[in-house]
Amino acid sequence: MTILEINNLKKIYTTRFGSSKVQALSNVSFSVEKGEYVAIMGESGSGKTTLLNIIASLDKPTSGEVLLNGQNIVSISEKEISSFRRDNLGFVFQDFNLLDTFSIQDNIYLPLVLCGKSYDEMNARLKPIAAKLDISDILSKYPYEVSGGQKQRTAVARALITTPQLILADEPTGALDSKSADSLLSLFENINNEGQTVLMVTHSIKAASHAKRVLFLRDGEVFHQLYKANMTKQEMFAKISDTLTVLAAGANNKQENKIK
Amino acid sequence: MSKMFYAKLAVSNIKKNGKFYFPYILTSIGTVMMFYIMCFIFTNDGISKMTGSVYIKTIMIFGTVIIGIFASIFLFYTNSFLIKRRKKEFGLFNILGMDKRNLARVLGIENLIVAAAGLIGGLLCGILFSRLMIMILAKLLKFNISFGFQISIYAVAITFIVFIAIFILIYLNTLRQLHFAKPIELLYGSNVGEREPKTKWVLAIMGAISLLSGYFIAITTDSPLAAIGLFFIAVLLVIIGTYLLFIAGSIALLKILRKNKGYYYQTNHFTTISGMLYRMKQNAVGLANICILSTMVLVMISTTVCMYLGLDDALRNLYPRNIEVTAQSISVQDCQYLNEIIEKTLSESKNSSIDTIKLRYLNFMVSQKEDSLSFVSNGVYLNNEATAALFIPLDEYNRINNSSLSLKENELIVFLKKTAIGNNVTFADKNYKTIKLTDDTGLAKYTSIKYSDNYLMFIAPSEKAIMNIYNSIALDKASNTNLNYYYGFDTNVNSASQLELYNNINTALNNSKSIHSDQIYVGCAESIREEFLTIYGGLFFLGIFLGILFMMATVLIIYYKQVSEGYDDKQRFEIMQKVGMSRTEVRSTVKTQVLTVFFLPLIAAVIHIAAAFKMITKLLEALNLTNIILFAWCVLGTVVAFSLIYALVYSLTARAYYKIVE
Ligand SMILES: Nc1ncnc2c1ncn2[C@@H]1O[C@H](COP(=O)(O)OP(=O)(O)OP(=O)(O)O)[C@@H](O)[C@H]1O
Ligand SMILES: [Mg+2]
Repeated sequence: MTILEINNLKKIYTTRFGSSKVQALSNVSFSVEKGEYVAIMGESGSGKTTLLNIIASLDKPTSGEVLLNGQNIVSISEKEISSFRRDNLGFVFQDFNLLDTFSIQDNIYLPLVLCGKSYDEMNARLKPIAAKLDISDILSKYPYEVSGGQKQRTAVARALITTPQLILADEPTGALDSKSADSLLSLFENINNEGQTVLMVTHSIKAASHAKRVLFLRDGEVFHQLYKANMTKQEMFAKISDTLTVLAAGANNKQENKIK
Repeated sequence: MSKMFYAKLAVSNIKKNGKFYFPYILTSIGTVMMFYIMCFIFTNDGISKMTGSVYIKTIMIFGTVIIGIFASIFLFYTNSFLIKRRKKEFGLFNILGMDKRNLARVLGIENLIVAAAGLIGGLLCGILFSRLMIMILAKLLKFNISFGFQISIYAVAITFIVFIAIFILIYLNTLRQLHFAKPIELLYGSNVGEREPKTKWVLAIMGAISLLSGYFIAITTDSPLAAIGLFFIAVLLVIIGTYLLFIAGSIALLKILRKNKGYYYQTNHFTTISGMLYRMKQNAVGLANICILSTMVLVMISTTVCMYLGLDDALRNLYPRNIEVTAQSISVQDCQYLNEIIEKTLSESKNSSIDTIKLRYLNFMVSQKEDSLSFVSNGVYLNNEATAALFIPLDEYNRINNSSLSLKENELIVFLKKTAIGNNVTFADKNYKTIKLTDDTGLAKYTSIKYSDNYLMFIAPSEKAIMNIYNSIALDKASNTNLNYYYGFDTNVNSASQLELYNNINTALNNSKSIHSDQIYVGCAESIREEFLTIYGGLFFLGIFLGILFMMATVLIIYYKQVSEGYDDKQRFEIMQKVGMSRTEVRSTVKTQVLTVFFLPLIAAVIHIAAAFKMITKLLEALNLTNIILFAWCVLGTVVAFSLIYALVYSLTARAYYKIVE
């Protein structure tokens, strides 16, 4: 079953005074099946964050459509968009985005409180998630009292607790040391194995090699994609490196072409 | 590096931090201006020529000192706020290779620029407005002289010295802060202390006790004399209570709310309570400052306005008639003679009297044991048991009130003010039946008994009966051989003619040797009006002046709070939106928090005023101002005007806040 379908997405940023325009996405189309784990890779400035923000309904595309379960989220009104986001999407950011005025537990509860859930229900939902993410001991602490890895697991718990259709992650391992990054990646793998659909933007080949499919963006278009299928992580890792080399060479060729 | 580099850096720093520096410079200008104007007034020659200039000068010197102290506290406050905000910037400079010595130099130049701008701008504005202010003062004091445009060198010099000293101290304080800061601290300067506040139960409870006892004193004090003594204790208790409750009480309350899971985990309580916890930790002291300042503004303006407007009332309370003659221990014949002299003087000056009151009476202190009254010897006058007693003969009472009451020989009519007595009263074994009266029919105010909080007023069958009672209990029988006499009347002539008449009566009575009385005193409200006007008018002027200064301080604190909050909140609201709050939801929780934070001090100030109301009326009573309705209107007017200004300031600064957040 297709959960997310993206058709001919285009995004042009106009600078504040309208003088110059940047085409961040020129024509992006792809789809994600339920239960998939998709990584998006690409050079800096290739439009990954832009794409994710549009899927997250934090930003509007210039043209094209984003269908989540067949519903075009581009046309959802401003009023309903935040409750739609709350009900269907979960986010994990590079810089955690935890609120320092809330304890770890309250940070995780935040989206549920916004939905108006009762305390007992929230508590019941938190227990298994906290156990799985190994944060049961730090629930009453504050963000500034815990490590980066713990913060990111908190952010994952916050994303999971609403049982969203889709989890969106923008460079979730970017601010973590390699050990924390590894544990986060195996965590993503676990939740994916349990049926959770995940879409992750990353620079890290290691991170991408955990995914079942990797999309490569270049110049605002989907340049290539790789399926893991039966490959091991090591094989996948090698494949991704190769593709990136080709990608970089392509970019160089292009630059050379420009120079000539 | 060249000197120019530092100067350039300093200027660009001031520009870059304009949001914080500009109000700081404005405050400097404002305080310098007000200080100069105060100095200008008390060194002014025109003012020295006024009657009662001593009072004005004393009031203005007092005002100058207050402004001086306040200006230093306030400039210190704004400056330290500025430094706190800029610590990160200093840290960056430090890491980029500027050592503390260089930083100190840049800061020195910055301070110099601010000081120069403040002093020059302030003095210029001061010189410009001093003429206007002195005109306003003259108008308030109803004093007509034309003041030329002038600059007081003396005032300029004092202002200069005082403020240079303040700015140097501020700079030294900045250096101190810089010296003790570690680079890492500088870099994370404004982020230090985001920890969750601890609940300090002891402080919260102490605050509540302190505040409530302050209120208790204010509400239960009945006598004006006691009010004077207790007022400052009550004020101190309330101030302590306010600070403790804002600092510890608010946190304790919020934590209790947070403990209540059902209440806390509701969409609109969740973010508000946690946000408020954080805000109160950051702002408690600032908010308590705003609260105390607002209360001061409200009390000061409402009382001084009331005093100024109530001047006529106060004079009328002191002198119920325009011109009054009081004679101690005087015979009926001599009264007749005194009347003739007064009436002759009146007709000679072609004046006529209105509402003439003539009253024979006797008053002395008694001590009461149940229903038995005995004389109080001089030594124990201040004893609690001593009560003032007033005796009026029945015929005098009937004549003045146009009534025809009659009394048997062993009966007394009694009016009780905050005293109690049974159906019988005994003077030295002689027993009288009492007939209670519910109204003093306005007679007490003509005698000195009006100064007592509680007294007994008796109406006796005859003058002889009064003297019998007096002689039966008096210890020193010779002291009063006759009743006292009051002769008072109104006129419908202007102040100057009243004063002339007053002088004429005084001379005529002094010249007549034939009246036998212990003491004759002639009084005229107009004779002391000017003195009252200078004192009340001077205080009124000072009240408004300081009111404006404190208001300025309040505005600035609110502004700084809003701006700094804005920078802190910006990031938090971005996160909330990402996590799934809509813009409108974020806006509404922000609004609740910001409104609560900024209107809390105002609400607390209004409650303070309400609690202080009774005590202040008692203080005013000590100043002969008994018009409670007038005071109520003054308080109401001040509160409404102040709230409007407060709301206006809030909405303007809120705009600055939302600009930053969005
Ligand atoms: N708000 C904006 N206004 C104008 N241009 C923007 C804006 N956001 C992004 N861009 C431009 O759009 C392009 C794509 O940016 P985007 O942030 O999506 O890249 P990215 O792939 O996420 O890069 P990175 O890997 O460095 O995070 C870039 O050229 C960027 O400069
Ligand atoms: Mg990015």
